[in-house]
Amino acid sequence: MRTVALGVVAVLLAASGVWARQEAAGLRDDPVVRNAALTDGAATSEVKGAVAEMVGRLFSYDHAAPERTRKAAAEFLTGDAAGQYEGVFGKVREEAPKREAVLSTRVTDSAVVSLRDGRARLLVFADQRTTRTSDGRSSHAPAMLAVDAVRRDGRWRIAGLDTFG
Amino acid sequence: MDEDPVRRTAAALVALAAVFALWGGWSWYAAAHDDGDAYSRVRAEVLRAGEQSVQNLNTLDYRTVEPDLRTWRESTTGELHREITDGRAAFVDRVRKARTVTSGRVLEAAVAELDVRSGRARVLAAVEITVTPPEGDPVVKQDRLVARLDRTGGGWKVSGLGRASGEAS
Repeated sequence: MRTVALGVVAVLLAASGVWARQEAAGLRDDPVVRNAALTDGAATSEVKGAVAEMVGRLFSYDHAAPERTRKAAAEFLTGDAAGQYEGVFGKVREEAPKREAVLSTRVTDSAVVSLRDGRARLLVFADQRTTRTSDGRSSHAPAMLAVDAVRRDGRWRIAGLDTFG
Repeated sequence: MDEDPVRRTAAALVALAAVFALWGGWSWYAAAHDDGDAYSRVRAEVLRAGEQSVQNLNTLDYRTVEPDLRTWRESTTGELHREITDGRAAFVDRVRKARTVTSGRVLEAAVAELDVRSGRARVLAAVEITVTPPEGDPVVKQDRLVARLDRTGGGWKVSGLGRASGEAS
């Protein structure tokens, strides 16, 4: 009789252990918790810096040095981003030489939407300045975009660009 | 009797199961009380409050201007709350005369800064604002907004809302 009672206790304890482990796993699996945006300060700063640098170089264009922008595109874009970038920037790049314009883009603010497992999504605010080389006149345009980034071989690249068009 | 091998095995199993249960309890406790996890949940709460408030503060219908402004007041705190409260009468008048319907939609938002201890946060939002005049077609525009949120007794509320400047911050 006492042996049976011991067996029941063992089963109950084991069951509660399993249940507690499942609860713990449920808490850890919560997408909110797995998102390291801001909770991992260093990783958040790193991806923000990398994306700011890439966006700045991708959306800057000097008709006197077009290869600089082309190189940035080849280096930083991966997957769907290449096509999305052409859709957004292709026309600008074609027209810049005709207007003898120099385009320079600078990220002014950004925030990380999500960051986990080597993938990140950022909301980026940028300022795009166009300067005509003929008379030195320049104009500003505000820009905003959502950027998907992936980390491969220790480097962030851009895998998706959404300009909310 | 105590030499009964079945009984001894049962006792050993109880001890094993007890250790397992303790371990399970500990992992559950640790998962529920993790500082990083708690911070993540606050971040999610701030984002939700920020998105909803930014949408609220960009939505106004001249036919429902009083309840809309009540929503504005409920979404805000501090200086912004005061401005809305103080300027209410003149504002209601102006909106009713203009007969416009404005509705905001958050396209994307993210928490840029969050200080849990002091209860302050900064949220960036990409919004789409549709303004429908009394005559003519609706005008759709996009805007980049920065919201400051403060923790209050009634949750996170907006204490400042403005268009993102071109200057680096």
